[in-house]
Amino acid sequence: MKAKLGGNGDMPRKLLLNYVLIGLLLLWSAIELYPTLKFEGLTESEKEVLRENGQLAGLESEIIKRGLDLQGGMHLVLEVNIPRLVENLARTKTQSFYELMEAVKTRDAAEEDLDYFDILLQEADAREFRLSRHFPGRSVKNDEIVSELRTESRDAVGRALEIIRNRVDQFGVSEPTIQRVGNKRIIVELAGISDPDRARDLIKDTALLEFILLKDAEVAQDAINRIDAVLKKNDASADIAVDSSRFRDEESRDKAISVEDLLGSSESGQSDSDTSSAVVVDENLYQDKPFTSLLRNLGSDIGVPAENFYAVRKILDRQDVRSALPVDMRIHFSNKAESFIAADGSSQNFYRLYFLNKEAGLTGSVVTDAQATLGGAGGNNMGQPVVNLTMNSEGAKIWSRLTGANVNKRVAIVLDDKVHMAPNIKGKIPGGRTVIEGLEDINEAKDMEIVLKAGALPAPVDIIEERTIGPSLGSDSIRKGTLSVLIGLALVVVFVVIYYKFSGVIAITTLILNILFVLSTLAFLKATLTLPGIAGLVLTLGMAVDANVLIFERIREELRKGKTVRAAVEGGYSRALITILDANLTTLIAALVLWQFGSGPIRGFAVVLFWGIIFNFVSGYYISKTLFETYLGGRTLKTLSI
Amino acid sequence: MQFFENPNYNIVGKFKAAVSLSVTLVLIGIISVFFHKGLHYGIDFEGGTLIQMKFAQETSAGELRDLLTDESLGKPEIQSSGVNEFMIRVKNSGEGTEVTDLIQSQLSSKQYEVRRIEKVGPKIGQELRQSALLAIVGALFLILIYISVRFEFRFAVGAVIALFHDVIITLGIFSVFDFLITMPVIAAFLTIVGYSLNDTIVVYDRIRENRFSIRNKSIEEIINLSVNQSLSRTVITSVTTFLVVLVLVLFGGEVLFGFSIAMLIGVIVGTYSSAFVAAPFLVWWENRYGAKAVKK
Repeated sequence: MKAKLGGNGDMPRKLLLNYVLIGLLLLWSAIELYPTLKFEGLTESEKEVLRENGQLAGLESEIIKRGLDLQGGMHLVLEVNIPRLVENLARTKTQSFYELMEAVKTRDAAEEDLDYFDILLQEADAREFRLSRHFPGRSVKNDEIVSELRTESRDAVGRALEIIRNRVDQFGVSEPTIQRVGNKRIIVELAGISDPDRARDLIKDTALLEFILLKDAEVAQDAINRIDAVLKKNDASADIAVDSSRFRDEESRDKAISVEDLLGSSESGQSDSDTSSAVVVDENLYQDKPFTSLLRNLGSDIGVPAENFYAVRKILDRQDVRSALPVDMRIHFSNKAESFIAADGSSQNFYRLYFLNKEAGLTGSVVTDAQATLGGAGGNNMGQPVVNLTMNSEGAKIWSRLTGANVNKRVAIVLDDKVHMAPNIKGKIPGGRTVIEGLEDINEAKDMEIVLKAGALPAPVDIIEERTIGPSLGSDSIRKGTLSVLIGLALVVVFVVIYYKFSGVIAITTLILNILFVLSTLAFLKATLTLPGIAGLVLTLGMAVDANVLIFERIREELRKGKTVRAAVEGGYSRALITILDANLTTLIAALVLWQFGSGPIRGFAVVLFWGIIFNFVSGYYISKTLFETYLGGRTLKTLSI
Repeated sequence: MQFFENPNYNIVGKFKAAVSLSVTLVLIGIISVFFHKGLHYGIDFEGGTLIQMKFAQETSAGELRDLLTDESLGKPEIQSSGVNEFMIRVKNSGEGTEVTDLIQSQLSSKQYEVRRIEKVGPKIGQELRQSALLAIVGALFLILIYISVRFEFRFAVGAVIALFHDVIITLGIFSVFDFLITMPVIAAFLTIVGYSLNDTIVVYDRIRENRFSIRNKSIEEIINLSVNQSLSRTVITSVTTFLVVLVLVLFGGEVLFGFSIAMLIGVIVGTYSSAFVAAPFLVWWENRYGAKAVKK
């Protein structure tokens, strides 16, 4: 770092390189920050328009994410209540069984090293208690039963997770976090939600699983026609925002899609999924059949391009649309979007739309078991992933009648109003044992197993941590945070410029760049800005001055020793470097530890502190030095404004 | 403009006075934290429920206390957090939304908006406390290693003594004034650790440099010179940091209050300790154990 600042011809070239590098950094920063600025400038109604166009999610993914503490929302930590789960699984419950359960529960709360199941086994063995009497249909030995229960508790967490995932989108949260932590916990974060009662719904014990027959294709087509008619009558174009500019230039390609294509019967088969193009709506069709134009044909199903999901759901929720539909019909989406590859290689995501009977043929409470497995030898599904579904005798009777009367029709498996699968009924299913085929792979089969069990085997879940921030407090915090940053900046600017005059201006420039770079990095990393994160920005303001102060004080010292301006600047920068490195690295260590151990808001603080220090080197040293060298240029100054 | 033209204060000479001041403050801190008032943990570390409400009508803390009579709430702590706005804290975390529902039903005679709810189960509180402790110990350990590698072991000892000094005094002030220890406060403590070290290292850096270049002076003189040379920088950086943290205390709002106040105390104590504790400690060490060959 002993850069020679001598007035040889070598210097301008080196400076030029610095200018290019700094220019690139500024360009990158501008690109990263632009979406955030654009987003902040949008009004609510403009956002709604973008949302219906399916463009909002794209923009939202590029802006600096705000933590729950800034935008309001809920953070929940859920824990599966294992004692209750085990109790629910037991059949015959005697006095001594309850005593055992109680003893295990007490010890579990007190002991750290052993988990619930270890203690259960110890206690059961110590009491010579035979668990098999209370958990029939399993192994005989206590340790085997306990290990089976342990597996089931893990499954229960999986079920709870699936149920929450399935329900969470009713909140309309753009990016909900649902995360499994450890063996029995789930973290749920819902931005912008502050209603604790709805959170209770989210984790309410039993999910509703239903088996519902699909309406015939003609009935579905008729319903779509009716919706088209309603929308056309009401001149819905004013209501549904469709960005016509987007499809105009693609019109020629889109003309290929006719109404028949869109809703053609199943004989066109798989090839029809190829019609998915980047085009979302056909303009001509849109005039004529506004609802149909939002849909696509996916083999025997009706597909909704993910971009149109919100618009379609909004239409289906309309009162006038609902009253135009037959009373014995309900319409549900599939639980997730699937990706289809078009002929041109591009992929597009689709939800499926199902037109179902209003009445469920059967509910999940009759399910006694579901097992994902590979089809056995000899059968026609040998080696294929299947799910074996078992029902109780009451359910089996109804199921047998239902399947017998509807052979070759389809039945949807619906969990909390989401269709997870809609297989074809091949024939009458007597005896309550059903085999579900046609699954992509064993993982999909496992998912189906979870769904099928979710209705009958609830996973008892407790909220063990909850943090709800009301939206008004969130916006208050943003206001206070921004105010603090601005006042802090103003104070530092005044102080530093008075103290260091022209050199102070250089320091301030690097300071502001530091803040911009940190914000750009947050946008780039999709990291979350929290209130402690803003505090970290303010702190960065204070500490970023430090690098400059260290350098300037050294320069002053060198000047006092009688060195020339150029030599003093050179000496100041090179001698301060090692100190700046040493001093900042310790704070960097503290920031890294916080990053590792902290949760949520604290991590937000650590991230800002960390990058603040990193850019302190870049901005406070490198850019500041470049600015100084530019200022000195080829001149020989007698005095320095410092 | 310049605060210190050519400072030549006898810092090392003030060592005795500094020691008695520091020892007094540390003792007060230890007594208050461990034997007298103890620390006031927020629900993050003890479990419990916090609800922050803004009332439509004029409301006082006493009024709320009179309304919140249900036994399961114990003695609710009520703290003002704005105009007609209060934070109510109870030790009970309850099942589901039991506690917040109870509080809201007891206050149903009033009109309010719920601005924040925090509920932490006792088990989670315990876990959070452990991970916070682990974070602080882990950070201190890593920093100790770093300084031992970059400087010498005795420098590291001096730095860590200064650190404990800072954290204990800050904790002591939190204990004496009943400020709540919450998650953000722990983050502030760690930042203080980093900041205080930042100061200490700048001084140590000078000492190392001067010992290398100035051969004919005693350790006292070199340390005195080094502290004086870095005095200007220390004061200016501390002033700017102090200013911005003061802004946070005044304008950051009640959510950040604990964090900001911890930082404010830390900045003051950290600046003091690097000049008056960490540096003179080296003199004491050298006089006691004798000077070893200077590395680096």
